Amino acid sequence: MKAKTSILFILAISGLLAVPGCKKFLQKDLQGTMTQESFPVSASDALLATNAVYTTTREWYYHSGGYPILDIMSDDARKGSNPSDQLNTVGPYDNFKITTTQDGLDRWWSEMYVGIKRANVVIEKVPLISMDTALQNRYLAEAHFLRGLFYFDMVRAWGGVPLVTTTTPPLKLSRSSETETFALVMADLLYAESHLPLRNSYSSTDLGRATKGAADALLARVYLFRKDFPNAEKYAKLVISSNQYSLEPDFIDANGVNGNNGPESIFEVGAIQNEGTEGGGDQYANTQGVRGTPNRGWGFNRPTPSLTNSFEAGDPRLKGTVISLKDTIDGVIIIGDGSTPAVTKDSAGNILEVQCYNRKVWVPGTSTASQWAHHRRLIRYADVLLMAAEALNEDNNPTEALLYLNMVRARARNGNPGILPDITTTSQSELRDIIFNERRHELAMEGWRFWDLIRTGRAPAVLGPLGFITGTHEHLPIPQSEIDISQGSLTQNPGY
Amino acid sequence: MIKSFTLLQKVVSKRAIVSVILLLSVTSIAFAQVRTVKGTVTASDSRETLPGTTVRLKDSPTGTVTDIDGKYSIQVKQDKAILVFSFIGYTTQEIEVKTQKILDVVLEPAKISLQEVVVVGYGTLRKSDLTGSVGSLKSEDITKITALDPVQSLQGKVAGVQVASLSGTPGESPMVLIRGVGTFNNSSPIYVVDGNILDDISFLNSADIKSMEVLKDASATAMYGSRGANGVIIVTTKSGSAVEGKTTFSVTGEYGLQSVVKDIKLLNGHDFAVIANRISPGTYNNVDAVSSTDWQKLIFHVAPVYNFQVSATGASKAVQYYLGLGYFKQDGIIDKSNYQRFTVKFDNTFNLAPWFKFGTNITLTPFSQQIAPDVTYQAYRAIPTIAPYYSNGQFAALDGVGNPLADLENSNNFRKGVRGVGNMFAELTFLKSITLKSSIGIDGEYDKAESFTPKFTVFEPNGSPSQQYNQYPTLSKAWSDNLTWLWENTISYVKDIKKHSVNAVVGYTMQNTTSESVGLTGKNIIRDGPNYWYINPNYIYDAANGVNTISSIYNSVNPDQYYSMISFLGRINYTFDRRYILTVTFRGDGSSKFIQQNRWGYFPSVAAGWNITSEKFMKNISFLSNLKLRASWGQVGNDKIPYTGRYSQVDNSLITIFGATSSSNPAASYGLLGNPNLKWEVTSQTDIGLETGFLNNRLTGEFDFYYKKTDNILVPLSIPGYFGNGAGQQEWFNAASILNRGFEFNVSWKDKIGQLKYGLGFLGTINHNEVLSIGGNSGVDSVLLGGYLGNGIPVTRSKVGLPVGAFYGYETDGIFQTQAELNAYPHMSGAGVGDLRFVDVNHDGKIDGKDRTFIGSPIPTFIFGFNLDLEYKGFDFSVNIQGQTGNKIFNAKDAVRPDPYNFETNVMSGWYAAGTSYTEPRASYGGYNYIPSDRFIQDGSFVRIRNLILGYTLPQKLSTKICMQKLRFYLKVDNLYTFSKFTGYSPEIGSSNVLSSGIDNGGYPITALYAFGINISM
Repeated sequence: MKAKTSILFILAISGLLAVPGCKKFLQKDLQGTMTQESFPVSASDALLATNAVYTTTREWYYHSGGYPILDIMSDDARKGSNPSDQLNTVGPYDNFKITTTQDGLDRWWSEMYVGIKRANVVIEKVPLISMDTALQNRYLAEAHFLRGLFYFDMVRAWGGVPLVTTTTPPLKLSRSSETETFALVMADLLYAESHLPLRNSYSSTDLGRATKGAADALLARVYLFRKDFPNAEKYAKLVISSNQYSLEPDFIDANGVNGNNGPESIFEVGAIQNEGTEGGGDQYANTQGVRGTPNRGWGFNRPTPSLTNSFEAGDPRLKGTVISLKDTIDGVIIIGDGSTPAVTKDSAGNILEVQCYNRKVWVPGTSTASQWAHHRRLIRYADVLLMAAEALNEDNNPTEALLYLNMVRARARNGNPGILPDITTTSQSELRDIIFNERRHELAMEGWRFWDLIRTGRAPAVLGPLGFITGTHEHLPIPQSEIDISQGSLTQNPGY
Repeated sequence: MIKSFTLLQKVVSKRAIVSVILLLSVTSIAFAQVRTVKGTVTASDSRETLPGTTVRLKDSPTGTVTDIDGKYSIQVKQDKAILVFSFIGYTTQEIEVKTQKILDVVLEPAKISLQEVVVVGYGTLRKSDLTGSVGSLKSEDITKITALDPVQSLQGKVAGVQVASLSGTPGESPMVLIRGVGTFNNSSPIYVVDGNILDDISFLNSADIKSMEVLKDASATAMYGSRGANGVIIVTTKSGSAVEGKTTFSVTGEYGLQSVVKDIKLLNGHDFAVIANRISPGTYNNVDAVSSTDWQKLIFHVAPVYNFQVSATGASKAVQYYLGLGYFKQDGIIDKSNYQRFTVKFDNTFNLAPWFKFGTNITLTPFSQQIAPDVTYQAYRAIPTIAPYYSNGQFAALDGVGNPLADLENSNNFRKGVRGVGNMFAELTFLKSITLKSSIGIDGEYDKAESFTPKFTVFEPNGSPSQQYNQYPTLSKAWSDNLTWLWENTISYVKDIKKHSVNAVVGYTMQNTTSESVGLTGKNIIRDGPNYWYINPNYIYDAANGVNTISSIYNSVNPDQYYSMISFLGRINYTFDRRYILTVTFRGDGSSKFIQQNRWGYFPSVAAGWNITSEKFMKNISFLSNLKLRASWGQVGNDKIPYTGRYSQVDNSLITIFGATSSSNPAASYGLLGNPNLKWEVTSQTDIGLETGFLNNRLTGEFDFYYKKTDNILVPLSIPGYFGNGAGQQEWFNAASILNRGFEFNVSWKDKIGQLKYGLGFLGTINHNEVLSIGGNSGVDSVLLGGYLGNGIPVTRSKVGLPVGAFYGYETDGIFQTQAELNAYPHMSGAGVGDLRFVDVNHDGKIDGKDRTFIGSPIPTFIFGFNLDLEYKGFDFSVNIQGQTGNKIFNAKDAVRPDPYNFETNVMSGWYAAGTSYTEPRASYGGYNYIPSDRFIQDGSFVRIRNLILGYTLPQKLSTKICMQKLRFYLKVDNLYTFSKFTGYSPEIGSSNVLSSGIDNGGYPITALYAFGINISM
């Protein structure tokens, strides 16, 4: 009897202790951050969420999966670094031996969707926040711009892709068509261009945010890719007529530190000197930086003899594009890398490669970390001028085309009357080739050459000898891991 | 005030007086009746004396032990005292002492060791009443292996248990699996150390452990409910001796030397030059003139292990105590790697009254460790024609590999901390059969990691810097702490009424675990020495630029160590007539890891046993001393997921750079996706066991069949990239089932021939592992990729019908001998003459990803151990052999080649012209032939001489002269030799990730140990 009472007593005490505290005792909230249900809920959250979409563009994987494979796939650059470095991972992009499990594909693919998700967070959640309407609209437009930018990269790289426009996509999605994907890109950019402010209405601390000019310029690029020349002309000229932009007097500054957020910059990726993406650095330029002495990076993306030999005589842009050994830049002598031959020849004695580096990612400074402060230009004014020229020429307006083409040449000439004379021909086909070459020399090593070759149909002729197969290499393979995870709901591109 | 004070005084003094009177009367009685009883204890079967028999006065802590001649002498204080004589393996006898002064006793061997008690969850059971499958290891076997982590001693000693080292890194704990891989996530068992539920026991000194019991079937593990599915290892540490008497001291000292068991056969300089010329003619002009560096020799050396301990144990009338002190130090066979640990253990039990006792049991373990960089893999890859140093004494550059000696020299990576595990309990017994127990356990650890890398550069031969450099002197520090408290309250009831025996327990427990870690990195440390390894703002903040340009900081909880739990539990064990046994257990667990609707899990089990030898009809079968049949079924759970699994998180650590001055702007957005629907994974297990004993239990055997199916497995699955989680990110799902079924046996024979005592034991497990489903209705991958190599390519694919973590790749079928042959067969575009011929598995006329197939299982199908013990006069000798068959190893260290590296010697027999090889492809630095294929699969079967000990104990007559009860010297060897075809350091390749097991990434090799030691007790 006594035992029973005691047992009951103890059970009662335990019960008393347990039951009321139970629910609370077993509740362990997320530590250090919020759950997605509780973000974004305020005006300041909306700003954080909008800023985060931009962060994606500074991620290493955003830059075509880390390595500058777009230039490497073109005739302008080879893999770079020393001969064995990443030979089997990056090397195959150089000769179109790309497989479905090729290194970097899944990184690029996944990173684009990270950006798309962040844009979707803004597009879906910010309208629910009660806040200043003008600011709210601007945030939404910024997110639309960036989502359009990401999908445009994807549709060029892979063709039609699964279209995600909400923060809660279904577990199974299949690929949309290329047309549907372009339609989304266009819709996003048109929304952005009609809602974004002009560059000069941003305060100086907000430079780097998407602008109406950036959206117009990107639209021009998209229409050009789609061979819709009237629209390409329209949007390129909108940028020009906005009076927001001009060419840097010095070509070097178009990509260099002095031109960071300068008049020529239409959209760029801000970064600071920090050897880590989390800390504000951007590894894009470190990946391509001079290898050896001075030690500025890994030395990938080496300009080819084909590129260096193609410049017009005396074109100062050659020096602005290629760093050669023994050059002195900002007081630093380029000695180069001991594990990389100065000259590489094929068995027939032809020069395949000369040790040199991409000048456009050079950042003055004293250490490797300085490279991480490079601001990658995603759109610059010279490109817009050349897009305008190209579209005008296709729209049978060579005279106006020449105006913009010669603006670019004049800046490159930098007051030296002996070089880069003004172009005067009004023959559409002649001018087409001239503008195309001008794009190569003005924009070399900035990641556009491969798409220019594809969109103009010149890739088979130019890249065929390098291994390009028409009907296959217009697109990259869908990463095998994504196909595996989708259990076959994602289909592979032809030829892979 | 004054009034009450005096009242109190009165009460106190009154009580005091009464107590004193009582005390005096008790002592006077005691003094009056004291006398001495002497005698000899012998065994009825051997007719020899039984030294070490416990002789105890019933219902009193007073007792003694027979000496070497079986003689005892005890003080008896009453006329009618009862003496209890007990010796393991013999039936305990109680004899009433009347007036005689000499009492000789003959003990009968126990037909079944009825009194042998087994520790189970929340109590103990007579072994004869046990219905679950439990394997035990006693202290003498636990100390045989010299290892930091006592769990190493289970290897080859308990059927159903697989122990495999992850690497030879000093301080690293091994992987432990009980009855196969039952899940896709953490498959480690839990450890219950004197009631504290823990994840590992590396803080315990083997010498402080009394026994380890491995709970294997559901009847045994269901008491641990949601945490029992991977098995439970109950560790009982030593406590004070049960009998009053003098303090016993024991001292052990051991010194040993470790060395690499074997080197990997890599090319020397000459052979490498030959191969290099084969790959790229003209690389070396004169292959006989190249230098040759044996990089393995440069990084490995012989290293010592020290192991010392002292313990004292004893008991007085009211207190039983044990005090243990231990010191363990292991230097690594690679420079700058070592581990040292102190252990301090106190265990005290205070018997305050016959019905009340309380106790404390505390282990404090300060430790420190130095961790070397992964130079083993560098040595494997390093080109042998390069000398380690230039003529000027500087480190030579090794492009793509890094000079391992430079990395070693610049490494200063330390970890130190202290772990304290302890509990305090109070126990109240009334009506002789009911015990209330409440205990509070604490497990706390504080840890500090510190790493300093000076500024250095390794230069190319032409003087330009190589990629092996560190630009700023860098100091990283991290601190972490975690604290768990566990409050357990149980009521147990143990009663024998005629033919009915009941052993029951009910309980209520609460547990809370918290943790936190902080880390920061500073650069530009002003000087290199350890005196300067402190971080100040200059090191983390670049004032000149006004930004935190050179630092990183993190601070978070450890997601695996942040949860709380409330549990209700109960067990009833009922035995009728010692013949029929029924056990029913139940546990309900509420865990913070799941949302409220999924929070509670309920875990039942039932089991029955039948002691056939206790039946009347068995009486005449004299050769059969024990026959017991048992069967059990039950469900147990696994909740080993990070607490964050259910939360979809916001990543608020982002920044974006805007503005004319490039300033940092905070940013935040959706981060990792969580799954709120998560719940327990549940393992249902059926076990049928047979225990046998023949010829007075000289031959014993235990056999178990088990069928263990795990459903709703918590598994991180890759989700499509379009979810925007980033490359390689995964989400937790309850989405898989795994089956493990098998057979375990443990047979032993013990006997003696004249003065030679011997014992033989053979045990093993045959296990079948199979994935029954993956993905379920969650719609994501139906296969689970894992075993990611250094180049990001997965080489395991867990798929329905195959074992967990099955190897996946191309099957090969010879070498393309000629261009004609190449043209005739389907091949990848990268294939050439002399390359591997991959099999067109799906017969679609081309070789692509769809032709990858199952190429081997990393899971052994048979694990076994063999033990031999011999004793002759003062000598003792024991051998433990252990091994496994049926598993394969993926030689990943050979398969990942982004740059040109050295080769294993098999490359010498490679193809170089038609007909030169049909198995080994032409030499190449990387590319096509290194695509994961069965070329990298090797047989993982092995037989290892795990442990060999030869000891000599001085005759007691001699040792007592130097005041020692026992003095023993021994020589031992661990991992003496391994019979195996595997080309790597060791075929025993553990992995903390079940999807990556059996993959040899070329880590720190495990070693052989040759040691000498002394045991003293006095």
